[in-house]
Amino acid sequence: MEIKELLYTLSELDSIGSITEASDKAYEILSKYADTKKYDTLNVIGKIKGKTDYTIMLDAHIDQIGFVVTDVDENGFLSVATVGGVDLRALPSKAVTVHGKEKITAVFCSTPPHLAKGDIEYDDITKIKLDTALGEKAKDIVSVGDYVTFSDKCFDLQGHKVCGRSFDDRAGVVCLLEVARRLSGKELPVNVVFALSSGEEVGLRGTTTAAFTINPQEAIAVDVDFGDSPDVSTNDSSPLGNGGIIGISPVLDKNLSQKLIDTAKENNIPYSVAVLGGRTSTDADMISISRDGVKTSTLSIPLRNMHSSVEILDLSDIYAVCDLLEKYILKGGVLGA
Amino acid sequence: MLDLLKKLCLIDGISGDEHAVKDFIINEIKDFCKYNVDNLGNIICFKKGENTPNRKIMLDAHLDEVGLIISNITENGYLKFQTVGGINTAALMLRRVLINGKINGVIGGKPFHLLDADSRKKLPKTDDLYIDIGAKTRKEAEKLVCLGDSAVIVSDFEILGDCVKSKALDDRIGCLVLIKLLKEYKKYDFYATFTVQEEVGLRGAKTAAFSVKPDFAIALDSTTAADIAGTPEDSKVCTQGKGVAVSFMDKATIYDKSLYNAAINSGILCQPKSAVAGGNNAGSIHLSGEGVRTLALSAPCRYIHSANSIVNIKDIESMLSLTKYMLENIANENIK
Repeated sequence: MEIKELLYTLSELDSIGSITEASDKAYEILSKYADTKKYDTLNVIGKIKGKTDYTIMLDAHIDQIGFVVTDVDENGFLSVATVGGVDLRALPSKAVTVHGKEKITAVFCSTPPHLAKGDIEYDDITKIKLDTALGEKAKDIVSVGDYVTFSDKCFDLQGHKVCGRSFDDRAGVVCLLEVARRLSGKELPVNVVFALSSGEEVGLRGTTTAAFTINPQEAIAVDVDFGDSPDVSTNDSSPLGNGGIIGISPVLDKNLSQKLIDTAKENNIPYSVAVLGGRTSTDADMISISRDGVKTSTLSIPLRNMHSSVEILDLSDIYAVCDLLEKYILKGGVLGA
Repeated sequence: MLDLLKKLCLIDGISGDEHAVKDFIINEIKDFCKYNVDNLGNIICFKKGENTPNRKIMLDAHLDEVGLIISNITENGYLKFQTVGGINTAALMLRRVLINGKINGVIGGKPFHLLDADSRKKLPKTDDLYIDIGAKTRKEAEKLVCLGDSAVIVSDFEILGDCVKSKALDDRIGCLVLIKLLKEYKKYDFYATFTVQEEVGLRGAKTAAFSVKPDFAIALDSTTAADIAGTPEDSKVCTQGKGVAVSFMDKATIYDKSLYNAAINSGILCQPKSAVAGGNNAGSIHLSGEGVRTLALSAPCRYIHSANSIVNIKDIESMLSLTKYMLENIANENIK
């Protein structure tokens, strides 16, 4: 599958809570290239063995943001809670998918014009109901605890830019699957273990057990980071189309980050650098403190409109991330690079 | 019926740029009536029936929908826009748009992670929003988009239980009812007008009514159904599934009371529009010439002027039945 097709396929499938459409598909693909296993934690972990016992863990999270149903009323309106960070300002009159006994479409209520007095505040998900338009029949299909996801389809923008939902972090998952494809069957200087981790959006949970299971010497978390847009300062963002973003932070291994930079330079792979003053809010924060500690860095794909149903990225950045990871691993990681 | 409604809704036609909807409708009705297109782009149809009433009757629905118009292109290739009609500005952020029916774009926003607590609660001002088509420079964007181009928020037409969910239900439902009457109704002569620019001030209906010079008119449109969770009973305006809403008064018209009474007492499923709010083409039509006795029938529509409006199919059927009933009873002078 082409990179774009793979990204679109995985992003239009859902993985949230007990829904595992995207992770099932990713498992199927990763199994072709690596010794792959599904875990009860909903992690998918695939291993390609190398010549030594040294193990590099590549991590991308397979879960996505969304909602969980907390009430179904007799008129067909649902109350929901957020799963992960959702921008409530983007919800009025938004159509979403409810994963009930069957998948149904529902629309978030918006305040009718004659009742809108001044600025409406979008600060409380308990005030924003979800309309199934099914009236009392809603209870036959939807139950408390069912998940709700965005339903937007992926589409092309100008240049190599594409738009869709759940690119955070299906973009990272696509990178891992592509790197697995490229490395599969090759003689590797080190073991590479691909972790498609669950529960990142609710507190970096899947990776906590994945890192323990894998017990790597070093790790790279492949996630998304803020892309440039007119209302985001260049201090907080990196331009789309300039390659992956290598993270530097007190919680990351500076040597590993530097080796990634060196590898990019040697191979003329575009990259940018983002410096943070503390934790990264990615799986790297948990992997790095697993067991007796893991040398960890981040390599991120710049993304606009993060945590919305219309996330935008540049496909050339995915290729740049794949190229960099491939070269870095073929050199044997931080010891060899 | 729903197939035709789907086709009608999925054509983009914001105010001032209704030609695609106009062409589609002409193709639907051309074999069933006489028609002409006036200088503004209104389609004015005359349907010859088996009988010619003493009264000239005009049925009206508007072609246009709310949307966006491109007003500027920034140095970095982003598009600025103005709203066209009373589009729900709360439903603009982080949506997919289609420009001129072919160029994909996204109304972007600052990630809420980077906002302070106060800004997270409030919608950005429409002036601060922009459309991202993925162009890197003004020059690149200008190859694809011109100032004045139209944009609409993209959405699917779907059936949800007994309801339809789509963009542009306001007022393609009215268009659907007119098309069906032009094709099927035979008893009395009537005029049908498909009018432009309703959403920017009831403008097309003004010139259409001037041309038709009707004695009686019925405006077919949509109105807010606020029958949603959390709305007090007395603020609901109308309730879905209880039939088409019949207006006694809104912000543009005080309606002919005998027409209102005849409709409400017709025995056909319908309900009063229980709020003096909004307005529709009746506002222009009833003031045309020496005045026109006018009625408005509106489909109760949740999330009106958004890309995901919801209307109950039963209420569309009610609009069709009640329009036919009123046409007939005005024509045969049962209604004095």
